[in-house]
Amino acid sequence: MEQSKNQIIYNVSDFIAVLNQTLEYAYPTVQIEGEVASFKVNQNKFVFFDIKDKDGSINCFMTVWQLRMPIEDGMKVIVTASPKLTRWGKFSLTVRQVRPSGEGALKKSFDLLKATLEAEGLFELERKRPLPALPKHIGVISSTNAAGYIDFIKILDDRWGGMKVDVANVQVQGSGSADQIIRAISYFNQQVILPEVIVIVRGGGSADDLATFNDEPLVRAIATSRIPTLVGVGHEIDESLADLAADVRAATPSNAAQILIPDKNELIKSVQVQIKSLLPKVLQALGQQKQNVRQQLIRSLESIEKIIDRQAMQIQSINKILSQLDPKKVLARGYAIVKGEFNIGKIIEIETIKAILKAEVKDVTPR
Amino acid sequence: MSRQDKSIEEKTTELTKLVSWFDSEEFTIEKALEKFKEAEKLATEIEQDLSALKNEIEIVKKRFDSE
Repeated sequence: MEQSKNQIIYNVSDFIAVLNQTLEYAYPTVQIEGEVASFKVNQNKFVFFDIKDKDGSINCFMTVWQLRMPIEDGMKVIVTASPKLTRWGKFSLTVRQVRPSGEGALKKSFDLLKATLEAEGLFELERKRPLPALPKHIGVISSTNAAGYIDFIKILDDRWGGMKVDVANVQVQGSGSADQIIRAISYFNQQVILPEVIVIVRGGGSADDLATFNDEPLVRAIATSRIPTLVGVGHEIDESLADLAADVRAATPSNAAQILIPDKNELIKSVQVQIKSLLPKVLQALGQQKQNVRQQLIRSLESIEKIIDRQAMQIQSINKILSQLDPKKVLARGYAIVKGEFNIGKIIEIETIKAILKAEVKDVTPR
Repeated sequence: MSRQDKSIEEKTTELTKLVSWFDSEEFTIEKALEKFKEAEKLATEIEQDLSALKNEIEIVKKRFDSE
């Protein structure tokens, strides 16, 4: 570099360096919205595209790993980048982040990534693991200031107690939020004592706010977590790729708490109902037993009556026989009772029904 | 293990067993009152345990905004 008549003369490389310094000072980071054109990936590592509008176009460069969501030509995006002049004098943007802009682009990007991950089997039902029935230790990933987190904790406390709840406080929207959530997932997965479940919650928001949960590396981190995951993001109608990759999807943060643990008030009610149901059972059993005893008594009385009747009949029959044998009855039929010695000249007594006679034996003829 | 050491889950399982005894063939009037009292006591304990339990919420100290 030389100085001539108060005018600096640069060589080319120095000028490029000075210009880059100036650019870096003036525009350390810029966000530019435009439409993607000439998108291409070289060697599976480097991404090149142009960002353009009606009257202008700028070259963009980034690495594949910085590309968090799929983009394609015609898609409206916002790039976060640093402007730079290359040593060949070509002006370009070194892109750190690119995200779809507007509902149409977000939807397009969502559909592209969803199709890719679906084809890989990331959302398969067979991959889903059940959540623990009654977890004692849970890891929560959310922003502690977010309404969704506050709702989740309130419902959690209302429904169940005695749990250890570790909370990783992260950003849940905007630049860098997906990386923070990924780090939190990794943090919980590396603990000596693992939480039994990781719960990621965030309340409702615009499609742009919720775009974090369609970030490819985040979706993959959720799918590969060795701790089962429960994701409750946005409202019931919002569907994120994070939801699809999670083991269990909750419609909202409050719903996540409802899915995770039972309601102690319902359990108390159920216990009370169980106890109340016992008394009628005991009373019914007592009534049944009373009836059994009564029936047994009736049966015993009936048996005794039968025995008595039978014996009465027997007595009656004996009486009949006995009455047949009564001597008076025999006399009444015309027979007589003869008493005395059956020797000639002896006096014998003859008893009939009407009289008692004395007679002398005149003759005895043995049979 | 004494009953005091048992978790709510264990107590709930025990209560369910006790309740099902009333529908089982082992049911006898002679034992019913004793079992009923036992179930009632267990239910009270479960209710008290559930009401007393509080969650221990701790914010992780580690920051996640950088590596």
